[in-house]
Amino acid sequence: MASLSEEVLLVVKRVRQRKQDGTLYLMAERIAWGPEGKDRFTVSHLYADIRCQKISPDGKAKIQLQLVLHTGESTTFHFSNESTALKDRDVAKELLQQLLPKFKKKANKELEEKNRMLQEDPVLFQLYKDLVVSQVISAEEFWANRLSLNSVEHSLSNNNKQEVGISAAFLADIRPQTDGCNGLRYNLTTDIIESIFRTYPTVKQKYAENVPHNMTEKEFWTRFFQSHYFHRDRINTGLQDIFSECAKEDEKGLKSMVTQGVKNPMVDLLSLEDKTLDEGYGTATVPTTSNSSNKSLRENSNSAIIKRFNHHSAMVLAAGLRKAEAPSDQASETSSTDGNSRDSDLFQPPLKKVKLQEAIEYDDLQGDSVRKTISLNLKKSDRYSHGPIPLQSQHYSTSQDIINSISIIQHEMRSYKPRLTQVMSSSAASSAITALSPGGVLMQGGGQQTINQLVPTDVQSELKHLYTAAGELLRHFWSCFPVSTPFLEEKLTGHLEEMLQAAYNKFQAWQTRRMMRKT
Amino acid sequence: MIPKLCYFLKLLVFIILNNLILKLKLNIDGLLVYFPYDYIYPEQYSYMLELKRTLDAKGHGVLEMPSGTGKTISLLSLIVAYQKAYPLEVTKLVYCSRTVPEIEKVVEELRKLMDYYTKQTEAKNDFLALALSSRKNLCIHPEVSALRFGKEVDGKCHSLTASYIRAQHHSNPSQPVCQFYEEFDAVGRQVPIPPGIYNLDDLKDFGRRKGWCPYFLARYAILHANIVVYSYHYLLDPKIADLVSKELAKKSVVVFDEAHNIDNVCIDSMSVNITRRTLDRCQTNVETLQNTISRIKETDAAKLREEYSRLVEGLKEANVARETDMYLSNPVLPDEILQEAVPGSIRTAEHFVGFMKRFLEYLKARLRIHHVVQESAPQFLKDIYEKVCIDRKPLRFCAERLRSLLRTLEIADIADFSAITLISHFATLVSTYSKGFTIIIEPFEDRTPTIANPVLHFSCMDPSIAIKPVFGRFQSVIITSGTLSPLDIYPRILDFRPVTVASFTMTLARTCLCPLIVGRGNDQVAMTSKFETREDFAVIRNYGNLLLEMSAIVPDGIVAFFTSYIYMENIVASWYEQGILENIQRNKLIFIETQDAAETSMALEKYQEACENGRGAILLSVARGKVSEGIDFVHHYGRAVIMFGVPYVYTQSRILKARLEYLRDQFQIRENDFLTFDAMRHAAQCVGRAIRGKTDYGLMIFADKRYARADKRGKLPRWIQEHLTDGSLNLTIDETVQLGKHFLRQMAQPFRQEDQLGLSLLTLEQLQSEDMLQKIAQIAQQA
Repeated sequence: MASLSEEVLLVVKRVRQRKQDGTLYLMAERIAWGPEGKDRFTVSHLYADIRCQKISPDGKAKIQLQLVLHTGESTTFHFSNESTALKDRDVAKELLQQLLPKFKKKANKELEEKNRMLQEDPVLFQLYKDLVVSQVISAEEFWANRLSLNSVEHSLSNNNKQEVGISAAFLADIRPQTDGCNGLRYNLTTDIIESIFRTYPTVKQKYAENVPHNMTEKEFWTRFFQSHYFHRDRINTGLQDIFSECAKEDEKGLKSMVTQGVKNPMVDLLSLEDKTLDEGYGTATVPTTSNSSNKSLRENSNSAIIKRFNHHSAMVLAAGLRKAEAPSDQASETSSTDGNSRDSDLFQPPLKKVKLQEAIEYDDLQGDSVRKTISLNLKKSDRYSHGPIPLQSQHYSTSQDIINSISIIQHEMRSYKPRLTQVMSSSAASSAITALSPGGVLMQGGGQQTINQLVPTDVQSELKHLYTAAGELLRHFWSCFPVSTPFLEEKLTGHLEEMLQAAYNKFQAWQTRRMMRKT
Repeated sequence: MIPKLCYFLKLLVFIILNNLILKLKLNIDGLLVYFPYDYIYPEQYSYMLELKRTLDAKGHGVLEMPSGTGKTISLLSLIVAYQKAYPLEVTKLVYCSRTVPEIEKVVEELRKLMDYYTKQTEAKNDFLALALSSRKNLCIHPEVSALRFGKEVDGKCHSLTASYIRAQHHSNPSQPVCQFYEEFDAVGRQVPIPPGIYNLDDLKDFGRRKGWCPYFLARYAILHANIVVYSYHYLLDPKIADLVSKELAKKSVVVFDEAHNIDNVCIDSMSVNITRRTLDRCQTNVETLQNTISRIKETDAAKLREEYSRLVEGLKEANVARETDMYLSNPVLPDEILQEAVPGSIRTAEHFVGFMKRFLEYLKARLRIHHVVQESAPQFLKDIYEKVCIDRKPLRFCAERLRSLLRTLEIADIADFSAITLISHFATLVSTYSKGFTIIIEPFEDRTPTIANPVLHFSCMDPSIAIKPVFGRFQSVIITSGTLSPLDIYPRILDFRPVTVASFTMTLARTCLCPLIVGRGNDQVAMTSKFETREDFAVIRNYGNLLLEMSAIVPDGIVAFFTSYIYMENIVASWYEQGILENIQRNKLIFIETQDAAETSMALEKYQEACENGRGAILLSVARGKVSEGIDFVHHYGRAVIMFGVPYVYTQSRILKARLEYLRDQFQIRENDFLTFDAMRHAAQCVGRAIRGKTDYGLMIFADKRYARADKRGKLPRWIQEHLTDGSLNLTIDETVQLGKHFLRQMAQPFRQEDQLGLSLLTLEQLQSEDMLQKIAQIAQQA
C-alpha cells in the first residue's frame, strides 16, 4: 500500500497501545499507530471504519482515547506523555472530531448505496459474485467506475429520500453531568449540533458568524450552554451575551407566529367568543396592568418556561416540515408560470367551509358513506385528457376539413366499383399465404428451433454469466484507453491482463467441463 | 315470461324501497319529522319525543344528552317540523349557542335539513333562517372590518353610522359615513331578504352583492326570520338584549345549547368591577364632558335646551311604544322607570355632570380604605345618601341620562367613554336591585397584600335575575347540553319550573369511552390536588409519571387539564426541573395553554398539526379555560384526556363566598353541594371534549382519588357514570397503563356500520319494531 505517500496531519509521540509505547499518526484518510522503533503500523483504521471516538473523563488519571469501529471492535490509545498528555489527547480528539463526520457520512452513504444497487440489480449482483467473490478483480476496482456511472441517478434518488425529523428531546440528551469539581460536562454529538442548528436557525447564524474568527468551536458551545438562552429563565439576558440576540430573534419569531394568527377558524380562540364582556363587567377578576409588573420573579420564569416549550415544539415541528415543504413550493411556483395552474384552486372550497362540514358530519348516520375523495389537482388539464402528443401533430385539421374529407370518401365509396378482372387468381393467393405461414418456403429460417430451445437453461445462464463477466472485464480494459496516467498503465499491463487471463481460464474450464459432461 | 315479469317486479319494489329508506321520515308522537340522515340513533328518537312533549305543554325543559349523539340535528328537525305543522303555535326558533364556530355549525346543520326538505317536498323553501353575530364578524366595510378587536369595530362603526353623524353628512357631504349602511337604510328595509339559510359568510356575500350592511340587515331580519341563531348574550345580557332582542315574538321557542355554564353567563352580564384606573379614566371622561358642554353652550346653546325638553318627551314616546307591546323587560331599566320623568336634579347637562362628579368622588373615597368591606345594595345607598346626599332615584336614571347626553353632545367615539358608561351602569344597577347583589371592596389582592390595588366588586349572586325575563316571556325555553348533571340543580339556581327534565345516555355498540380514576402512584402515595398536598413533591412527581406513561402508550394526541393556571405553571416548572418534561418530549411534542389567547391559538394549531402528521403531541391546558370550553378534540386530536385534580373554583374568593351564602339562604343549596357540582361539571366538560361521536374513542383519566367518592362520582353525567366500573375506581399508574393499553388495542380494531346497526344505530324498520320502542323508552331517565 502506498501509505507513506499520504499526507500526515498529526503525529503524537508517546502513545501507548496494549501496554506498548509508540507513535500515533493521523493521516488524511486513516489513523495509524506504530510501535516505537519500528517503521510499520500495527494498528491502522480508515476513518470511514470508525463509528465514534470516546475519551476518558477529565478527572481520570489515565488519559485515553478510544475508537469504536463499525464492526464493534475498539482500540484504546493511552497518552502517556506526562506533561502534555491532556493537550495531546485533546488535539487528536479535535482533529478526529473534524475528520470523522466527513468520512462517516461518505462511508455510510457509499456502503448503503452499494448495497442498494446490488439488491436492486440481480445481474449486477451476479457479476459481483463472478468477479469479486471469485477474486478476479478487487471490490474497489469493481465499484470504481460503477458508482460514478450512477452518480447522477444517485443524487436524484437521494433528493427524494425522506428527511428524518428531529427528536423533540434532543436537548434532553445533552443533560449535563457534573465532573466532580464544580464543573459541568455536556456531551455534544454531531447529531445534536445538527438538531440545534435545524431547530434554531439563529444559533446556526451566530455560529457561522463567530466560530472560526472570533472563537473556537469549543468556546462557542461553552458560551451557548452558559448563556441564559439555553437556560429556562430567559428573561435577563445580559448584553455581553452573544445569544441575547438569538433570544430576541426567537421572541420576534414567536410574536410573528402569533400575529399571523391561525388558519383554522375552529381553533382561533380570539374569535371564539361572540361578544366578550366589556372591561369592567363580569365576576372574573380582571388582570390589571399594575398586576403584571409586580409578578414575582419565579412566576415570570415559570411563564418563560411555558413560552419556551411552546416555541421549542413549534420549531421542532417546523424543522421537520421545512424540508418537506420546500420542493413542493418550488413545484407550485414553477407550475404557476404555465398559465393554468391556479384556477384549480378555485375548485377547493375554502378552509372554513371544509372544517365546518367536517365538524357537523356523522359518518355513521349517513347511509353508504360516500368515500371522501381528493379532488384531482391538475396543473395542465389538457395533458390529462389527451396524453402527450408529438409536436408535429400540432397542426390540427379544422372541422371543415374533416367534413370535407368525409364527404369525399363517401363520394368515392358510392362510386366505387371493383375491377374484378385484375385481381389475382385464388390459387396464386393461397400459395403465397402458405409460403408466408410458419413452415412455408419463405419462413424457413424462422421456422427452425431456436438455440434457446435446444440448450438447457442452466447452461444458458452459466454462459450468460461468463459473457457478462467477460464483458465487464473488457469494459475495464477499454476504459483504460487512452493510457494517460501511470496508474492506468500499471493496471493495463499488470493485473488487468491477469484478470483477462483468469476470465479466459474460467471460460476454458467451463467449456471443458461441458464437453466432458457431453461425452 | 312469468319469471321475467317477477324479476322486474322485484326490481321495481327494490328501487322503491331504496328510495324510501334513503332518508328518514319519522313519526314522533303523531308529528311528521323529516330527518336528513339514513339512520338514526335511538337516543335521538327519544330526545325528540321528550322535546315534543315539552313543546306541546308550552313549558320549559332541561335535557341532557352526550355530545356527539346528534343533539343539534334532533333539536332542529323536531322544532322545524313543529313549526311547519303548527305555524301559529310556534312562530320562531331562537337558538342560542356559545361560540362563533358553534353558531356556524348549527346553521350548517340547518342547511342540511332544509336541503332535505326541499328535496322531499319539492316545494320552494319559504323558511328564513339566519345567524347573527357581532359587527366584527359581519362588517364588510373595508376599513372598519380590517380592525382586529370587536370593540374597535363597534366604535368605528358607531362613528360612521350614528344618527347625528348621518345628519351632519346631509349638510356637509365631506363627513364620512358608511355607504353600506346608507344603502341598507335607503332600500334594505322595504325589500325583505329572500327565504333561505344565511350563515355569517352568506350574509356577508349577500350584503356585498346588494351593497347593504350585513350586520344591520341581520338585526332587522331577525324580526321576521323563522329561525335565529346567535349567542347567549343577545338574550341574557340586558345591555345587548335591549338593543337586539326586545321585539322577538312571544311565541318563540328558545334553545340554550351548551348550557352547562348558563348561570355564570347570567351573573357575568350583571356584575361590575370598578378599579382605581376605571375611576381615573372616568374622571377624564367627566372633564371632557364638561368642556364639551361649555363649548356647546357658547356656540349652540339651543341644542342643550332642546335636549332638556326632549328628555321628557323622548322618554314619553318610548313609554307609549312600550305599552303597545310587552317588551322584553330590561333589568337595568325596569318598567317602572319609564313611567316617571327624569328627576329634575339631573335634567340639565351641567347638573348631571356635577352629579356624576359627586358620585365619582364618593366612589374614590370608598376605594381609599385599608380593610375589606362587604355590604348590600341598600346599605350602600344609605351610606351614599348620608355622605354626599345622593338620592336613590337620580341614580336609577343614571345610565339613561348619560346615553341621552352622549347623543346630544354628538360624541362619535363611544368607546372612549367606556369608563363613565360603566360607572353609570353601576349606579343604575345598585339603585335598582336591593336583593341578589353584593358589594365587596377589597383594598388589595390576597396574594399581594403589600400592594394597594383597590377594587369594588358589584357582583350578582342570583343568575335567575338575568334569565327571568326570558323564562317569563317565551313560551318554551329548552336548556340542553352534554353535561347538565345533576339535573335538578339547574331549575333551582335559575328559578324556573320545567315540564320535562331528562337525561339520555349514549347507546353504544362498543364501549368507546373508558373512564378511569387514578388514585395512587406506583409508590402508593395518594394522588390529589387537595390544597394541603398539592405542593407535595411526591404528588407532583406521580402526576408527571402518569403523563409520561400515558405519552408512551396513547397514539396521537393527549390533552391534560389542570385545575387552575397557577397550579399548571407550578407543576410545569417542577416537572421541568425533575426532567420529566424532557422524557415526555421523547414521546411527544408538548404544547401549553398560556394566558394569551393568540399564543394559545397558535399552540393549539401546532398541536393539531403534530397530531395530524403522526408525531403526536400533548396539550397542557386549564379547566375553565378557553380551550376547555370551546375546542373539541375529535378522533386523533384527543385519544386520552387526563384531568389532574378536581377543578374546584378558588374557594377563598369573597365573591364566591357571598354567592354560596346566598345560595344557601335563598335556594337551600348547601355550599359543598354547589362547589362539588361546579367542579364536576367542569371536569365532565373537560373529559367530554375527547368523545365527539360513536365512532370516536378515548380514555378519560380522572387523576385524583377524590373522584372515587360517591358524592363526586354521582355528579358526573350518566353517560360517563355508567361506564365507571368498581374495578376502575382507585387505580395505580401501572394499572391505568394496563387498562389503557387494553382499551386502546381493542378500539383500534376496525369498526363498521354493520357493527352498530340495530344496537346504537337504527333504520326506520328497526325503529318501528315493538321491542326497540320499549328499549328507547329506557334511554331517557326522568329526574
